Amino acid sequence: MNKTAGLLLAGGVGSRLGVLASLRTKPAVPFGGIYRIIDFALSNAANSGIDHLGILTQYKPLSLMDHIGVGKDWGYGSRLRSLKILPPRTGEKDSDWYKGTADAVRQNMEYVTQNPDCDTLVILSGDHIYQMDYREIVAFHKARGAKLTLATREVAIEDAHHFGIAKVNSENKIVEWAEKPRKPKSTLASMGIYVFSIDFIKEAFREIKGTDFGMDIIPWACELGHAYAFPFSGYWRDVGTLKSYWSANIDLLDANSGLHLEDWKIYTNSRDDTRLGDRPPSFVGRDCEVKNSVVSQGCEINGCIENSIISPGVTVQHGASIKNSIIMDACTIGADAQLDRVILDKNVTIGDGVSIGEGTDDVLNREYPDFLESGISIVGKGSHVPGKCRIGKHCIIKPFTPTSSFQSNTIEGGETVGAVPHEYST
Amino acid sequence: MENILAMILAGGRVNQLDVLTENRPKSALPFGGLYRVIDFPLSNLMYSGIRRIGIPSQYRPFSLMNHIGDGSAWDMSGRNSSLHILPPFKGHRPSDWYQGSADAIFQNMDYIKNMRPEKVLILSGDHIYNMDYTRLVKFHNEADAEVTVAFKEVPFDQATRFGLGEIQAGKREGGRLLSYAEKPDYPTGTNASLTIYLFNFETLLSIYEEFANGRTFDFGKDLIPEILDRYRTYGYKFDGYWGYTNSIVEYYRTNMSLLQRDSELAPDKWQVKTNLRNRNLADREPAIIGKQARIKNSLIYNGCKIYGSVENSILFPGSYVGPDSQVRDSIIMFDSRVQEKARINQAIVDADVRVETGASIGSQDSTSFFETEDIHEDGIVLVGQRTVVPAFSAIAPGKKVQPNLLNGSFAMHNYEIKEFIG
Repeated sequence: MNKTAGLLLAGGVGSRLGVLASLRTKPAVPFGGIYRIIDFALSNAANSGIDHLGILTQYKPLSLMDHIGVGKDWGYGSRLRSLKILPPRTGEKDSDWYKGTADAVRQNMEYVTQNPDCDTLVILSGDHIYQMDYREIVAFHKARGAKLTLATREVAIEDAHHFGIAKVNSENKIVEWAEKPRKPKSTLASMGIYVFSIDFIKEAFREIKGTDFGMDIIPWACELGHAYAFPFSGYWRDVGTLKSYWSANIDLLDANSGLHLEDWKIYTNSRDDTRLGDRPPSFVGRDCEVKNSVVSQGCEINGCIENSIISPGVTVQHGASIKNSIIMDACTIGADAQLDRVILDKNVTIGDGVSIGEGTDDVLNREYPDFLESGISIVGKGSHVPGKCRIGKHCIIKPFTPTSSFQSNTIEGGETVGAVPHEYST
Repeated sequence: MENILAMILAGGRVNQLDVLTENRPKSALPFGGLYRVIDFPLSNLMYSGIRRIGIPSQYRPFSLMNHIGDGSAWDMSGRNSSLHILPPFKGHRPSDWYQGSADAIFQNMDYIKNMRPEKVLILSGDHIYNMDYTRLVKFHNEADAEVTVAFKEVPFDQATRFGLGEIQAGKREGGRLLSYAEKPDYPTGTNASLTIYLFNFETLLSIYEEFANGRTFDFGKDLIPEILDRYRTYGYKFDGYWGYTNSIVEYYRTNMSLLQRDSELAPDKWQVKTNLRNRNLADREPAIIGKQARIKNSLIYNGCKIYGSVENSILFPGSYVGPDSQVRDSIIMFDSRVQEKARINQAIVDADVRVETGASIGSQDSTSFFETEDIHEDGIVLVGQRTVVPAFSAIAPGKKVQPNLLNGSFAMHNYEIKEFIG
């Protein structure tokens, strides 16, 4: 792969992940206890022998940059393997924010072409949970004599309108392309992973002024008959909505789901900048039941946990019960608290006797009806839920909500608490 | 922190620890479900701001070297830090293996001189404790001492096991060291040496010039009694937690006290650091707990996969506990597997062991250590590193199973094998 350059698009806003992505870019959203979403694309790139990787950032990149560092945890940052973060920068105009995926790549072609030996560019998205050896798609690209190859997979027809949809002939050449079509003609969806011959992408940028791959570049390449679809059939999840994010986490508990992080060699940055020492082993107390769950280091568990993902440094006090939930780093769950189908972002404190997720799920969230479904409630980073508070389903507690913001001991299903201003706009 | 060089004596094998130190020096012994014993002094040094360390090491040092790496886990790499492992080397004498603690220091005097320290802090790498060495240094400076030895009060009935010092009374933190006796049959005091010594560099140099060619090899046994009248020698009293791991029973008890959450032994509070790159610990996924698993009063870490029953036990990263198996009152080290229907009670299972299906280790009906707090060496089974315990075999309490035994070689070692019932 020493003739292949890599660019990873990690600027995504993740607007439908609500409070999880309101403080961080989507690739930096925590996943599976100790990981972040971008670890998958980064580990795939490292395991596929992409030795020089540029990472394009834009939206709230701080947690991401912190997490990636110089890439040591993925084997980058040495003499032969480099990783470079490429934020937008001012050029001839005052502000050159990336205007779309293609624009982001266009503004970094200098990085791509700095190694004259490279003839192929792999463009990856940092937004998905999957394992892929990019060597296979590059080999496919070269064998077909393609100038552009998209990684594609079959999706359900009712989901197809979220994706770029391709129709292919018997040689996997794309004969028809539609970006997020209202009436999809096929179920072969683009995964946002593109392999370009470098001469061809240079030509594309000369010919096409558009700023988006799906809308502008791919249709042009398909029209010229140079675009192919590489069929991928392994585990792949978009995790663009809270429902899909929750399900993909819960897939870790199912040995048959196809999601196997250690087998896949998914690496993460395990440094914990909030502590000088390493987190100790997790302690499970005498009166506990822990079943069908994932438990990270540094936890103190004295309650019951079932079908849940527990991140590092979580404290679960006596009598507490956590079911079907995702608990992120350093949360404290008070005595006798009951949590069902809850996502707690980092550093949340749940008071004694709190209950979240009881009642019916027939009311959607009033303020943000598109975010939550399947009865999931979510508590934003650093919030404090006061003791004895009862919170229904489809509730949102915004980040950094203090106990004083809870006007009542009962938060009905579909309510939102917290006044911290931050952008949800989709 | 002023210009201090720390020397950690980490080389030794401890016979009482039997097969656990077969392949590694004691300082590299795994501890507490994640750590190695030497993580404790290394973390103490880091927090005390002592950034230059030499580690004389001679007994099978590979495991230790692997663990320490470049020292960056403890911030010991970088512009103003250094960490060196110092193996024995051939010199003037026919055999230059280190002959005791003082000899290990004396043989490395060239290294010490090279580092140009003002003071040399000598530690042993095999105790579990949390100590701020800056307080020891402050005491030393305020007393204008040339040599300071750290002590801790121990119960009188145990005093005979230690080097005992008589310290001038009057001050809480210590005073002039009046006399010293190594493991006396008839103890006269209860201040036990922690084998922590602080020397002014010139003092150490002059002691070296006088004694290095003589017969003096150990600090406690030979040197301290010899010098305490001739140099300003002080005793510093430490009153924090001090965990011993010098015998199987001590090692077992000190580990198990981690399960008593009110114990003074608190690696979390002490923020102990280890090298997460050793054995790829950083790349382990969080522990996976199966639907039928049952876990009580135990420690687990990332990389554990638990499908059976675990009680009063410490599971290191990578431990696998299969369906319908049972682990009680035991320590299971890195990447060992307990296959289905196997049962383990009161055992220390070293790293990379496989306990095959239906094997039984230890007595299955003894009272739990956590009820009686009573444990004897003849009750604890040791299983050496990389051994495969055959399916449906039974190993009696107190047995020490050698490392690296495979199915075939196992029978020749006279471990009782139950009838094959599969």
